[in-house]
Amino acid sequence: MTKSIETMWKEGFVNEAHLTAPKINDLYNRKSQNIVDKLQNMFALNIKALILGCLIMLVMMSLIGAPFLGLYICCLLLPLIIIAKKELKKSFNLSKEQSSYDYIMNFNSWLKSSIKAYSRYYKFFYPMFFIGMAIQGIVSKAGENLIALLVEAVPTGIMILGQPYYLIVVLAIITLIVAKYAEALYRLDLNIVYGRQFKKLDELITDMEELRK
Amino acid sequence: MGSDFYQLSILPFASIIIKICRAYTNSQEDFEDYYQEVCLQIWRSKDNFNQQCEWSTWIYRISLNVCLTYLKRRKSGDKQIVSDALPEEVIDDSKAFVSDEINQLYSAIKHLSETDRAIILLYLEEKSYDEIAEMIGSNSNNIGVRINRIKGKLNKFINQKD
Repeated sequence: MTKSIETMWKEGFVNEAHLTAPKINDLYNRKSQNIVDKLQNMFALNIKALILGCLIMLVMMSLIGAPFLGLYICCLLLPLIIIAKKELKKSFNLSKEQSSYDYIMNFNSWLKSSIKAYSRYYKFFYPMFFIGMAIQGIVSKAGENLIALLVEAVPTGIMILGQPYYLIVVLAIITLIVAKYAEALYRLDLNIVYGRQFKKLDELITDMEELRK
Repeated sequence: MGSDFYQLSILPFASIIIKICRAYTNSQEDFEDYYQEVCLQIWRSKDNFNQQCEWSTWIYRISLNVCLTYLKRRKSGDKQIVSDALPEEVIDDSKAFVSDEINQLYSAIKHLSETDRAIILLYLEEKSYDEIAEMIGSNSNNIGVRINRIKGKLNKFINQKD
């Protein structure tokens, strides 16, 4: 190589014909491919899906004779809607005009606080959802029949809330396990979808922090 | 986006966007995707432009931040991946520019980390160390040191190819 990279750049672009802008197609309706926008779109879609989910649950559960379970699931989903709305609002404060470091750091803080807010709630949501389903199972006709069969097979005189003690113990243990792994479950799900992006973000931050030292 | 805004405020600066987007993409399809995304984000951010810097600086800043956080579309299906330094990937737009030297330089730049790509592009566009530091979010001393290191890497890569 004889030329410096500066000369290569300068001379190379003097008569460069390929600096013509590509054709723009329907830009206004384009779905953004940026991580921030993508997550904003996801949160917005999530809110709509949750509202729709609440309504579907309410109608469906009422139709199958479990209106209280429908109402209960709605009540569980409501805080998720509130969290999603709050997080979406926060994300709009991120501007792309800052320095790259500030932009990446702000984005990362927002992402972490969002994940934290969601995982805090999922720790409560998953076990409560399980409890709701379990109670509905116990009070349903099919559940009553199953429990009767169970008591016949494993008789006991110790009853808690009208149910054999071991059933309550098993349900309590499962609830605890679900509660313990709720956050891990949520993070696993998140990692499957966004693992690569998170890794890229971490690498970028490490590189930029090294540059600031 | 109003076509007036595109014609008057983006198109005259298209070369900036093209130079940056080319450094973060490996195919014409990806390049066009990135280009459009940058235009979209410039348009969305236009109301925040406070004239404390030049419009061209604003375009550099948004283009870099968009390229750093862009999601590439996989060819099959609709899943998205992030753009990485891809030394092992075949770079299929090695003839993106007419000039062989520029193509060679871009090929070397694409082997750098994403932050280094941003720094060297700004340096080659004759931005001062202070301006680069301000845009990247570092200080000019560190930028100077890093630029020397990057130039070393680029020269090494280009010499290997020669």
